[in-house]
Amino acid sequence: MTDAAVAVRGLTKVFPVPFHRQWSRRKPRDIDGQPEGVTSREASYQSVVAVRDLDLRIEPGEVYGLLGPNGSGKSTTLKIILGLVSPTRGQTEIFGRDSSLVESREAVGFLPENPYFYKYLTGEETLRFFGKLCGLSGARLRERADQLLELVGLTNARDRRLSTYSKGMLQRIGLAQALIHEPKLLVLDEPTAGVDPAGSRDIRNLIVDLKRRGITVLLSSHLLAQAQEICDRVGILADGVLVCEGRLEELIAIENQTELVLENASDALVDQIKTLATSSNAKLIARRRSTTTLERLFLDATSEGSNK
Amino acid sequence: MSNETAAITRHRAFSVARVFAITTNTLTELTRLKVFYVLLIFALLLIGSSIFMARLTFQQEFQILKDVSLGAMSIFTSLLAIVATARLIPQDLEDRTVYTILAKPVPRFEYIVGKLTGVLLLLAISTLVMSAMFLAVLYIREQAVLHETLRQMSAAPREQIDDALRAVRSSALNIDIFPGIVIIYLKACLLAALTLFVSTFATTNIFTIVVMVFIYFIGHLQATAREYWLQEHSTGWITHSFLALVALIFPDLQTFNLVDDIVVGAAIPLGLFAKTAVLGIFYTTIYTLLATFVFYGKEL
Amino acid sequence: MMRFAYHAAALRRSVLVLAMVLAFGVMKLPGERALFVQHRQLHFRGVEFNLDLREQLGQLGFIAALSGFRSIVADVLFIQAHVAWERTEWSRVLLLFRQVTTLQPRAILFWDMAAWHMAWNASVAAMNDRTQPRLALRVKAQREYFALGKDFLERGIKNNPEKPQLYETLARLYKEKYKDHASASEFFAKAAALPGAPGYEKRFAAYELSYCEGREREAYQRLRQLYDAGENERLPTLITRLKFLEQKLNIAQDQRIPDEGR
Ligand SMILES: Nc1ncnc2c1ncn2[C@@H]1O[C@H](COP(=O)(O)OP(=O)(O)OP(=O)(O)O)[C@@H](O)[C@H]1O
Ligand SMILES: [Mg+2]
Repeated sequence: MTDAAVAVRGLTKVFPVPFHRQWSRRKPRDIDGQPEGVTSREASYQSVVAVRDLDLRIEPGEVYGLLGPNGSGKSTTLKIILGLVSPTRGQTEIFGRDSSLVESREAVGFLPENPYFYKYLTGEETLRFFGKLCGLSGARLRERADQLLELVGLTNARDRRLSTYSKGMLQRIGLAQALIHEPKLLVLDEPTAGVDPAGSRDIRNLIVDLKRRGITVLLSSHLLAQAQEICDRVGILADGVLVCEGRLEELIAIENQTELVLENASDALVDQIKTLATSSNAKLIARRRSTTTLERLFLDATSEGSNK
Repeated sequence: MSNETAAITRHRAFSVARVFAITTNTLTELTRLKVFYVLLIFALLLIGSSIFMARLTFQQEFQILKDVSLGAMSIFTSLLAIVATARLIPQDLEDRTVYTILAKPVPRFEYIVGKLTGVLLLLAISTLVMSAMFLAVLYIREQAVLHETLRQMSAAPREQIDDALRAVRSSALNIDIFPGIVIIYLKACLLAALTLFVSTFATTNIFTIVVMVFIYFIGHLQATAREYWLQEHSTGWITHSFLALVALIFPDLQTFNLVDDIVVGAAIPLGLFAKTAVLGIFYTTIYTLLATFVFYGKEL
Repeated sequence: MMRFAYHAAALRRSVLVLAMVLAFGVMKLPGERALFVQHRQLHFRGVEFNLDLREQLGQLGFIAALSGFRSIVADVLFIQAHVAWERTEWSRVLLLFRQVTTLQPRAILFWDMAAWHMAWNASVAAMNDRTQPRLALRVKAQREYFALGKDFLERGIKNNPEKPQLYETLARLYKEKYKDHASASEFFAKAAALPGAPGYEKRFAAYELSYCEGREREAYQRLRQLYDAGENERLPTLITRLKFLEQKLNIAQDQRIPDEGR
């Protein structure tokens, strides 16, 4: 059996709220009653449960989307997978190597959310710096930096300081630095945040291209339409809990429901369909304007999650 | 372990190349911060102090030149060490550049060591530049005085002239100044490491700098507190434990002020120099280890 | 009330760090103390920072002296003393030199200057003091300045026993101010015995001895030895003193040194 690209088992992360902030915050925000998987000791003090008992398994070659509203624990999960934050409980692995080990990071490239690099370095210097951190050097490093600058379309800006880069350019140099050592797994935290539609499309195409080359991608997003286009599987987080997960088509399809999308349908026609349905033992349960299916799923799932 | 894992290149627990990358990056960062303005102030001080000395004898002049230069060197390197180091890691945490670095296969230890080495390199460069400036001024003044002496004594016998010239030379430069400068550098190194340690748990840069300035002053008194603690037993227990705390927590910075005595002609034995240097390196290492330990436990 | 319990882990870590700092503190103590003792032996760090010094220097000077500015503070005070001397403010010169030498006890120059200002400059000024009509009091003031100069030199020697310069100045003080040739000779000899002493110290010690009643024979032997050491030592004063002693001690003609200009 091959190792999963990413394996997360029973992951819980509780952030303590620093003393000085506790004074201004009377009530614990997250914990009403006793959530499962969190002991009474943890729950009874002021703290934030960012991730709760999370299990994930991402197979090599997959593009996995971690979706969820703001503050649902996406970034925290990704940081734990990269060993930047230590889990309160549970385990994460990259290609079978525990995230707490430095060597687990050899096979992974990471783009943090709102990446910020040393602004006194030029684009090329940035790539060379991160390349050196990955053990690259000499001609190989130079070649790789050239390739990546080309790939993300920053060849013209290679000698400019990052302080002069736009947000979209920073995002692209961030992507390039994540790819510098040809990782087998790419972890992207909101790769298209703050990037214009054309830029988003480029990044999306890039991810599709990487997938074709066999690279596993784990990305977080709250832009559902995009996730829908590129992800093989998605998991939806709400308040740190994975509320549903699966292949997109499967999630979107509700097995015992069929949705009809009609154009120019009169009320009379709809009433007719309704009677027809009742006569054949079916029931019309909703009648509404169509929405993006994933978005509906998303809203349903997350509202369900926070009602738990 | 699967085949796939085995295919990944073996990770090196410590890589000089990675540390070096972080070091050069830190050095670049620091030079862009224009910390080298300190050197300019030093140069101005050198020139300024010579205005004072117009009416003094050459012995007095040389001594004051040496005192001012080496005293300023000691203060400036210490100040540079504190100010340059204080913001190094907090800045990276705040800008989240540390995420991108530590998401690469870089052990946190290497990150800390790389950063510190960057500062130490900066300090070395500054110390060298200041020493060069100082030696140049001293040399120019020495030549001028020698010239003057020769002119005044042109009628005197050979032996007396030689005597006079020897007196000028010996009061200008004594070789013991160089180990003194090395010790100044090591003091700055230990302060940098200590600042790094403080900055790993401080909440703001200002806090770090204030704490370090405090440590700097107390550190110069540590020896007095320590000896009092270990020799006087008549004090009350509160005073006693306070002195003990000072002695244990703070470094003895006074030990590193050898130049004060060297400048006025005290010869420094090799053993004393070596022991002081070892103590400096020991402090630096320990504070680096402590900084690393705190950094490992840090939630980024 | 604050709730510490949740932070147990963080707290445990902080306590651990503190424990490590203290453990390191215990580890470093022997090294620090050994160095301290060696500094003492070598007369490094001649200054003890105590309340006395703080009173002398004032708060600001004290803090500056503590933080690596010690020699610079000493220089500043020295320059002030220089200015005070130009204005012939003798009590101020004395005060400033006390501070200077306390701060920088290894600086021969400062002790030397302090003694010179007291025993040579201030004493002369006291003797010529027109505001004091009574001679006895002027002489008394003069003697006091001699003593102050001597005191500076003695303390300077205690702090720098391995350097010949201060012994020499003290010898000059005895010779020129106290007319105490025995003591002058003693200190010239002490200077001569130290490494790095100029060649004339030995001669001067012998000259001074030649003025001492009852020690002429000893002086004669020393001068003769120097004379025999070579052409370099045969300076006019040496020859004059030697001839004087030959006369006084009735040295046999054939053992006397040859006459000048032969
Ligand atoms: N360092 C921290 N200290 C305390 N609480 C934290 C910390 N980091 C995150 N949290 C909390 O953990 C929860 C999850 O945060 P996280 O950043 O993972 O959310 P997210 O899903 O990435 O949100 P977004 O879409 O806004 O990026 C939030 O409630 C946040 O306040
Ligand atoms: Mg996020």
